[in-house]
Amino acid sequence: MSSIIRQTLAMLRANLFSLPRRLAISLSMALSIALVVCVLAGFLSMAKGFEKTLTGTGSPSVAVILGGGTNQESGSDIPAGAVRVLEAMKSDIGVIRNAAGNLVSSRELVVPVEVRSNEGAGERTLALRGMEPSGPSLRDGVRLSAGRLFAPGAREIVVGARLAQEFPGFGVGDTFRLGAVDWRVAGHFSARGSAFESEIWADLDAVRSAFDRQGQVQSFRLRLVEPFALKTLQNALAKVTGTPLVAISEADLYAGQSSRTADLIRLLGWPIALLMAIGATAGALNTMMSSVSDRTIEIATVRALGFNRLPTFAATWAEATLLGAFGAVIGTAASCLAFNGWQASTVGANNARMTFELAVSGDVMLTGGLLGLAIGIVGGALPAFAATRLPLTAALRARGQ
Amino acid sequence: MTDSTKDEAYIALKNVRKSYKIGIEPIPIFSGLDLTIPRSDFVAVMGPSGSGKSTLLNMLAGIDLPDAGELRIGGNRLDRMGETARSAWRAHNMGIVFQFYNLLPMLNAAENVELPLLLKPLSARERRVRVGKVLDLVGLSGREKQYPAMMSGGQQQRIGIARAIVADPELLLCDEPTGDLDRKSADEILDMLRFLNRELGKTVVMVTHDPQAALYARRTLHLDKGSFVEENRAA
Ligand SMILES: Nc1ncnc2c1ncn2[C@@H]1O[C@H](COP(=O)(O)OP(=O)(O)OP(=O)(O)O)[C@@H](O)[C@H]1O
Ligand SMILES: [Mg+2]
Repeated sequence: MSSIIRQTLAMLRANLFSLPRRLAISLSMALSIALVVCVLAGFLSMAKGFEKTLTGTGSPSVAVILGGGTNQESGSDIPAGAVRVLEAMKSDIGVIRNAAGNLVSSRELVVPVEVRSNEGAGERTLALRGMEPSGPSLRDGVRLSAGRLFAPGAREIVVGARLAQEFPGFGVGDTFRLGAVDWRVAGHFSARGSAFESEIWADLDAVRSAFDRQGQVQSFRLRLVEPFALKTLQNALAKVTGTPLVAISEADLYAGQSSRTADLIRLLGWPIALLMAIGATAGALNTMMSSVSDRTIEIATVRALGFNRLPTFAATWAEATLLGAFGAVIGTAASCLAFNGWQASTVGANNARMTFELAVSGDVMLTGGLLGLAIGIVGGALPAFAATRLPLTAALRARGQ
Repeated sequence: MTDSTKDEAYIALKNVRKSYKIGIEPIPIFSGLDLTIPRSDFVAVMGPSGSGKSTLLNMLAGIDLPDAGELRIGGNRLDRMGETARSAWRAHNMGIVFQFYNLLPMLNAAENVELPLLLKPLSARERRVRVGKVLDLVGLSGREKQYPAMMSGGQQQRIGIARAIVADPELLLCDEPTGDLDRKSADEILDMLRFLNRELGKTVVMVTHDPQAALYARRTLHLDKGSFVEENRAA
């Protein structure tokens, strides 16, 4: 082992053993770093959880047709005539048909409804989706967890499992008022935690009549024979005149929503975390400066014995880095415990609430941890340099311990 | 290391100037100091407070540099060496004993003594053996694991001496090594320094305020107003 490394290790040991002398300030450095890590991990896990929920939602083999020049359901409008033209196409348009040769499809309409939440804290907007009877079968991973589906034409709803948990009055068999009319809760469905679970489903015609939306269609869902058949469908849509129609895969529809919102969360989170990181770096700098002044005599003593400048630098820097790493570990552990699985909700698609779980994933922990470590490294550099510049004569003049 | 052993001036200061700036006015401490110390000498340096005794010792240790003049030890021009070279020179040629011992409080006796050996290409085993030997020499074998805080001042200073000699340097520099000790402990330490000088041939330069301590040296130099005013050769 080289002499420099031995010197550094000996100094580092002396540093770390002397940490109890600086317990309060060293802990406060580690904790302020942990706090920054927590804040960043909080935002990132929110973005992550949101993404996970939405990317888990769509299927690449379901096509969603939208009209009116938008690629989102909310502003979309498909004229009834356009749907009829599609239904009349007998050529191969890349989608699955039933035995009779008719499209397996669902015309759909989403209506935002105000619902009083469990905590009594005001009202929340939920998405009530009117769909045709084949609608549920056009969604992958959907399973009835209680009761049955809505009956065609009836004022019945099936409620996503997440909503059923959150709101009172969604028990199977209960009557629930949405808009101006009462609905009977026919069942609950689960969808692997995806965004579908934040929706309420009902028969298309029942929704249209209850909310006075006769004849309106926002989206038209079809099952593709295979994901690549989307192109065939898009070509077919180009032949529909009178209104611009687009077909996108359900997966892309939700991924597009998720990246917009997740980016927004990150865009909000990073500057806050970085601002706090600057504060924590200043704190780390201060802590390490006081560590150097606390160890002045020791540093000067070993330098007088013949130790190099480099080990003084390295040992001080390593102390800062270790404190940073310690803070990063506390921060990631705390955010893992505090945030992972935490329920959050935000305005998702169709301006309705979407509930999701925060996900403190591996890359979230890594990013947060690295930021914490960086604070230690950056904050420790200057004090480490200062440690090499201690005036030895003045330090040795001071009384020893 | 060039070795001009035969020449009697192991340490040679020629026309050394040194001043400290306090405010804007430079306060001269030495303005043309000359000094030669032969190998294996034991010199006590006395003088009033502020006369520059510690400054002289720091220059001999390569911790401080003269503003002008020559500072030669064992054939090396310390005043012309860079910081790193002087660190290395210290590691190989000199041991230093402080008034307040300057032991690292969170290292035990053996670890404190071992510090200078970390600068040498020695295995852990070799280092342990040498630490054991010097602890024995200063009469503290068996106390390897004790921490400085558990020891008396006299014991701490013996650790300090063990640390100064463990790497077997030629030169021992002591700044008031007994300044903080009672008479009995002081005499033990001084006996030890005399032993190191007489039996092991170390060159010892010791700053002291205590005339009794100075009696242990071969000669005493009195430093006043920047030069040596009196030189006393003892038996
Ligand atoms: N780093 C420094 N900056 C400014 N002045 C200094 C510095 N080091 C020493 N001095 C001044 O130089 C003079 C000599 O100091 P030095 O410590 O060498 O004296 P000394 O003889 O060892 O005194 P004492 O007996 O009190 O230890 C003093 O006046 C001191 O104030
Ligand atoms: Mg002094």
